[in-house]
Amino acid sequence: MGSLEEQKVISGSRRTRWPDIFKLGCVLVRVTVGALFVLAGATKAYDPGAFAIEIQRYQLVPWVLAALISVYLPWLEMLSGALLLLKRFERGALLLTTLLLLIFSLALASAMFRGLSIDCGCFGKAFTATGTTIPLLRNLLLLVFMGILWIKSR
Amino acid sequence: MRALRQALLILLAALIPAGLTAAFHPRRPAWSEDTLLPGEVKLQTVLAWGSDVLWIDARSLKEYEAEHVPGAILLNLEDWEQLFPRFLDRWRPEEKIVVYCSSTSCELSHEVAERLKTNGISPVYVLKGGWEAWKNRK
Repeated sequence: MGSLEEQKVISGSRRTRWPDIFKLGCVLVRVTVGALFVLAGATKAYDPGAFAIEIQRYQLVPWVLAALISVYLPWLEMLSGALLLLKRFERGALLLTTLLLLIFSLALASAMFRGLSIDCGCFGKAFTATGTTIPLLRNLLLLVFMGILWIKSR
Repeated sequence: MRALRQALLILLAALIPAGLTAAFHPRRPAWSEDTLLPGEVKLQTVLAWGSDVLWIDARSLKEYEAEHVPGAILLNLEDWEQLFPRFLDRWRPEEKIVVYCSSTSCELSHEVAERLKTNGISPVYVLKGGWEAWKNRK
C-alpha cells in the first residue's frame, strides 16, 4: 500500500473514531443517569414517611406538600430513570431528569445559602451524612452530562 | 414538542403508583403535621405524666448547652459511647423516657429512641415537635 493511501486510511479512521467515542460516552452517561435515578427513587419509595421528613428539613414547603412530594417524586424518578435506561420516551425522560436535577440543585444551593445543616436526602436513608456540598457538585456534573445528551438527541 | 408530550405522559403515569403508595404503603407519611407517628407523644401528654419522666436531648452538645428542657440529659448518636453510660447512671426503670430533637423535621429523636429500645430500655417515647414544641408551650 502506498504512503498516500495509508494516510487516507489513517485520516479516515480518525474521522470515525471521535464520533464513536462520543456515542459510547453518551450511552455511558444515559445508563449512569438512568441507573442513579432508579436507585434514588427506589431508596425513597421504600420509606416515603422518612423522605417527607427529609424534604421538610429544607424548610421550603409546608408539611402537606412535603408528604405529597414524598409519595410522588420517588416514582417519577424511577419511571424517568427506567425509561432513560430503556431508551423509551427518551426525550421526555431526558427533559424530566434534567428538570429534576435542576430543582434538586436549586434546593441544595438554597439550603447551603441559608446555612442549614442537613443531609441531601437524595437517596432516602440509604446514604446519610452526605451534607449538601458534594451532592450539589455531583448534580452540577450530572447536569453537564445531561447537556451532552441533549446535544446528541437534537 | 415531542419531549413535552412524553414528559406529560410520564408525569401522569407516575400518579398511579404514587396514589397506591399514598393509600396503602405501610411507611406512608402522615398527612397532617399533628398526626402522631408510632412512638410519638404530644407535649401535653408528657406534662400530664408529671415527674416520672426522664427527658433525653438528642441534639448536639452545642445546642444542648445553649438551652434544653430542665433536667434533660444529653444523649446523641455522635457521642453515644461516651454518653450512654451517663444515661444509665441517671435512668430509673420506673421512669418514662421522652426523647426530643430540634423540631418535627428532625429525626434524631427517633434514631436515639430506636437505639435505646435495642439496648433494652423502655418505655421510650419521642416528643412530637421536639424542642420547638417545648419552647412554644403555653
